[in-house]
Amino acid sequence: MNYAEYRDFSASVAQRHIVFYYFGYFSQHVVSAMADAVRLKLEHAETAASTRRKIFSSFVEMAQNITHYSVDSLTPIALRDNQLRQGSVCIGIEDDRYYLMSANPVAAESVEALREKLEPLRTMTLDDIKRAYRETLRTEQPEGSKGAGLGFLTVARDASAPLEFEFEPAQGTDTVMFYVKATI
Amino acid sequence: MSIQTSDDLFIPASGSSPEVDFRFGAHTLSLKGESYPENAAAFYGDIIARTRAYLAGPPDHDVTVDVALTYFNSSSTKMLFNLFAALNDAAEAGTRVVLNWYHDVDDDTILEFGAELHDEFAALEFRDVAVGG
Repeated sequence: MNYAEYRDFSASVAQRHIVFYYFGYFSQHVVSAMADAVRLKLEHAETAASTRRKIFSSFVEMAQNITHYSVDSLTPIALRDNQLRQGSVCIGIEDDRYYLMSANPVAAESVEALREKLEPLRTMTLDDIKRAYRETLRTEQPEGSKGAGLGFLTVARDASAPLEFEFEPAQGTDTVMFYVKATI
Repeated sequence: MSIQTSDDLFIPASGSSPEVDFRFGAHTLSLKGESYPENAAAFYGDIIARTRAYLAGPPDHDVTVDVALTYFNSSSTKMLFNLFAALNDAAEAGTRVVLNWYHDVDDDTILEFGAELHDEFAALEFRDVAVGG
């Protein structure tokens, strides 16, 4: 890429109102550093404090999902600490609202479980989501979960529109690219 | 590892975990900062175990708990709930436990979680402390 191309690239990022984008390996250190960068950027963007908090929270949940569940992993899949897994995350502005998107590969056999988890959230009201959140808070940690089973509910609670998601089979592999979009 | 309940527990804050200053000897427990460690179950597991061991002692002292967390992720939320459950058990068994719940005046999420704790753990003496504004 030459300087002119780089200028074009930067201009197109600005034109698309991309606030933040990262593609690469996610570790706890990377997530923490990105969270600082996102916070700094939002503080200087005259974003309302409540909106900033919602974006920050959704960002951490989506980024840590990649650290925990992407199957493109440099560290053993069973490892629970110091994980390094690949994916991407993006924050942008569309129609005067912030949105977050993330993408990471998942195993084909995890798709149905993810769909069953996410699809019901799309038709729930905010009260329904808060109720489900309170119920999940009181249940035992689900098997195989590295979190509390509260991550998507937390994002859904902060979103102003139903969560969007998509699965795209990756050619020639047994993995599926998992996309999530949250509009704040 | 043997658990010595008289030992205080201090963990300095990191970029994504709070300062933990549990002075069991003085009966004051404080959590301060942000909480989104990679493995919240591991981070809080030991803290909860140490606290339970401390609370198993005779209920001859009031316990003051100061929580001033400005952000906690979903898996930390779950573990905090378990920590307060342990404190509530002790309160039900006769120890007076005061929970000072600090939050930014306009942080609805943390305010609501505090209200949730207040409802669920009725034996705790819950004090909502709104900061700033």
